[in-house]
Amino acid sequence: MIRHLARLIWNRKRQNFLLTVEIFFSFLTLFGVVLFAVYFANNARNPIGYTIDRLWSIGVDRKEADKDLAVKARHRETYRQLLMALRGMPEVEVVAAASTGPYANSNWGSNVRLVGGRQVRFGVNKVTDDFRELLHIPLVAGRWFSREDDGSTWTPVVINRRMATEIFGDVDPIGQVIKEERDPNGPPPEPDEKAEVKRVIGVVEEFRQDGELSGSGNYLFYRFRLDGSEAKEALPDRVFVRLRPGTPATFEEGLVKRAMAVANPWSFEVQPLDTMRTDKLRQYTIPLMVVGTIAAFLLMMVALGLTGVVWQNVTQRIREFGLRRAKGATIQNVRTQVLVELLIMTSLALVSGVALIAQLPLLPIPSDLAAITAPVFIGSIAVSVIAIYLLTLACGWYPSRLATKIQPAEALHYE
Amino acid sequence: MLNHYLVLAVKVLLRRKFFTFISLFGISFTLLVLTVVTALFDHAFGPGPVEPRQDRTLYAEQAMMYGDHGAWSSSGGFKLFDTYARNLPGVERLSLYQGGNTVYSYVDGRKIASALKRTDDEFWRILDFSFLEGGPYGTADVGEARFVAVINATTRQRFFGNRPGLGQTLEADGQRFRVIGVVEDVSEVRRTPYAEIWVPFTTAKTDAYKAEIMGGWNAMVLARDKASMPLIRQDFNSRLLRVELPDPKMFRAIVAPFETKIEGLARMMPTGDRRDPESQLWKLVGFLTVLALLFLLVPTVNLVNINISRIMERASEIGVRKAFGAPSRTLVGQFLVENILLTLVGSVIGFVLSVLALRAISQSGLFTYAHFTLNPRVFVYGIVAALAFGLLSGVYPAWRMSRLNPVDALRGGVSR
Repeated sequence: MIRHLARLIWNRKRQNFLLTVEIFFSFLTLFGVVLFAVYFANNARNPIGYTIDRLWSIGVDRKEADKDLAVKARHRETYRQLLMALRGMPEVEVVAAASTGPYANSNWGSNVRLVGGRQVRFGVNKVTDDFRELLHIPLVAGRWFSREDDGSTWTPVVINRRMATEIFGDVDPIGQVIKEERDPNGPPPEPDEKAEVKRVIGVVEEFRQDGELSGSGNYLFYRFRLDGSEAKEALPDRVFVRLRPGTPATFEEGLVKRAMAVANPWSFEVQPLDTMRTDKLRQYTIPLMVVGTIAAFLLMMVALGLTGVVWQNVTQRIREFGLRRAKGATIQNVRTQVLVELLIMTSLALVSGVALIAQLPLLPIPSDLAAITAPVFIGSIAVSVIAIYLLTLACGWYPSRLATKIQPAEALHYE
Repeated sequence: MLNHYLVLAVKVLLRRKFFTFISLFGISFTLLVLTVVTALFDHAFGPGPVEPRQDRTLYAEQAMMYGDHGAWSSSGGFKLFDTYARNLPGVERLSLYQGGNTVYSYVDGRKIASALKRTDDEFWRILDFSFLEGGPYGTADVGEARFVAVINATTRQRFFGNRPGLGQTLEADGQRFRVIGVVEDVSEVRRTPYAEIWVPFTTAKTDAYKAEIMGGWNAMVLARDKASMPLIRQDFNSRLLRVELPDPKMFRAIVAPFETKIEGLARMMPTGDRRDPESQLWKLVGFLTVLALLFLLVPTVNLVNINISRIMERASEIGVRKAFGAPSRTLVGQFLVENILLTLVGSVIGFVLSVLALRAISQSGLFTYAHFTLNPRVFVYGIVAALAFGLLSGVYPAWRMSRLNPVDALRGGVSR
C-alpha cells in the first residue's frame, strides 16, 4: 500500500516537493528553538554548586591601572584595609574578595596544555580563603584554601569534579600536579618567569558561575594572598559580603560610605546577588523568548498553509476518490489515504532534516555550546520530530474529513 | 484594464476567504518582523534628534592593541586621542568623552543609580541636545575642573521631584555637582550621547587616565564636509602607526579607526576583524542578508504553496480564458496584479501591527528611554521589502499557471 501511495505522491511530484521543502524548513526552525529550550531546561535541573542567600556583590573600581608595582603595592594595602573594615561592621557576617563571581558579567577563561598535547579549557576565578564559606560551596574531596597554603612553593588549586575527571580520569586527584607543557606556538617565556606548578588540593562538586541556565564546564579556583608575597599578583575586582539576617536594604548607604572612607578615591557598585541572578537569567530567556515567539508564528503560518494546500488537493482529487469509493473503498480508506500520503511526505522532509542536523556535531563547536550533551541533542531531535508529525496530522485532519463527504455518484459525475 | 484586474482580484480574494486569510497572515507577519528589526536598527544607527549630522560624524569607539601572542581590545585611552587625534585635516570639531559608567547616590534612604558620562565641552557642540533648563558646560568649566553637571529630565525628577533642577546640587559617586543644565531624556540605544548625568572630564577622581593609551575613552569628529571624511580616516590610521606602545614585546600595533556608527557595529560583530583598520561594513551587510534570507525562506515557500493552490483551484477558469485565446502573458499579468494587491493589503496590516509591536517594546522598559517609531525611511524600506516579497512568491506560481494545458485545465485541473 505504501508503495502504491509513493507512486501517487510521485505523480504529483512538483507540488509535493514544495510541500516537503516547507515541512523541512519548519523542522529546522523548530529544532533550533527546541534545542535551546531543552538545553536550558536540562541545565536548570542540575546543581549550580553554591547558594546566594543575603549576599551582596561590591564591584570595585580602583580608578588607576596598576601595572606599576609601587601602585600595585599601595592598592594591595588599601584592599587589606577595606576587607578588614567591612569585616568589622556588625551587619556583615562573611567577607571575601574575588576576581569574579556568581552571575557577574565578567568571565575569566583559560586553558592548559597537558603533557602529550591535550588541551583542557576551563573557567577561572581567584578568591580569598573565605569564598567557600561565603557561598556554601560543597567539597567532594580534599580541602579548601587556608593558612596551610601560605608556605607552599607550588600553586594550590581547587577544581570542579568535571575537570578532575577530564584531567585525571579515575585517579584520585588530591595532591596531584597538573602536568603541563609549554605550547610551542605560545609567547616566549619572560626572563624572570618561573613555571607555575598547579597542585590540586580540593575538588568541589560544581561551580556554574553563570547560574541555573548555563551549561556545565570545567572550573578552577586560585587563591588570593594579598599579603604581598607575590609582588606581581593581580588584584581582586570584586568583594562579596554576606549580611546578618534582618539587615535592611538601607544598610547599603552605610556600607558604601564606610568603603569610600577607607579606600578613597575608589568607587563601589553594590548589587544584591538575587538582583544579579534575575538579570543574568534574563540574558538567557529573553533571546529565547524573542526567537521562540517568531518561530511560533512561523509554525502557525506553516500550519495554516499546509491546511490550505491539503484542502485544495482533496477538492482537486474528488474524481479519484469518487472512483475509489465506487470500487468499494470505505470512507475510512479514503481518509487514511490522504493522511498517510501527508505522513510519507512529512517523513521524507524529516529524514532529510535529521540527516542534515546529524552533521552539526562534526562542525567545530564554539566553546560555550560544547556543553550541549548527546542526550540533550538527541532529545531535541525527538521532540521536534514528534511535534512536526503532530502538526502535519492536525493540518490534514479537517481536509481529510472533506474527502469522506464525497458521494461516489456525485464525484463520478465530473467525468 | 488594470482597473478590471483589480475588481476581479478583489472578487477572487473574497471568494476564498480562508486562502486569503492564510496569505494575509503570512505576509503581514513577515513584514512585521522585518519592519520591527529595521526600526530598531534605524533607531540605533540612523540619524536621530540628538545626532542629526551623522553623515558628517565619525566615531572611534573601539580600539585594539595586538602582537603575535595576544591582543587587547577595549576602547582607546585619553592619551591616544589627545596626542594623535588633534589637528587632523578636514576636521571641524573633535570631542573626547568617556564610555560612561553607573554611579550611585543615596537620597533620603533611597538608592539612585545613574549613568554618568565624563566629557569635554566640544561634546555639546557636535551633538544637539535639547535643553529644558540652563545650558551645557563650556571651555572654562572643563579647564578649571568645575563640579558642574548636566542632567536629564528623569534624573531631575528622581533627585528633586517636580522642582526645577537649575542651581541644585546632587551627589554622585561621592562627588557633589551643581546642576547647570537639564536636557530631555536620550535613548540608551544611542550609545554616544546617552547618559543621565554629564560632567566635565577634568572632575575625574584621579588623573591616571591622562597617561593611558588604552581603555575608557572615545573620540568623535565632525568633518567639515563629506569629502574630507576618507582623508580623516586615512590620516588618523597612518598616525597610529607611529604610536609608542607601552609593551612592545607583547604588542606591536594599535588600531582605533574613525568610523560611522554602523561600521562600528560591523567591527564588534564576530564577523568583523578588529585588527583591520579598514571598514568591516560589507561583512555585516553580508551576514544580515544571509540572516534575512534564511528568515524569509519559510514564509516564501509557504506563500508559493498557497499561491499554487489558489491557481489550481481556478484551473477551469484559466482553461476557459485560454481556450478563448487569452495569451499567457495576460494571465500572468493578471495573477501578479492580484498577488501584489494581496501583498499591499498584507503590508498595511503588517505596518499597523509593527506600530503596536514597537510601542510594546518601547513600553517594556527593555531599553531605557527608547521610543521606537516608524519613520518615513523605515516605511519606504518596508514597502520595498513587501513588493519584493510579493513578486518573489508570485513569479513561480504565475509561471506554472502559464504552462497549464487548456484541455487539462478545462476538465478542472491537472493531476500532475
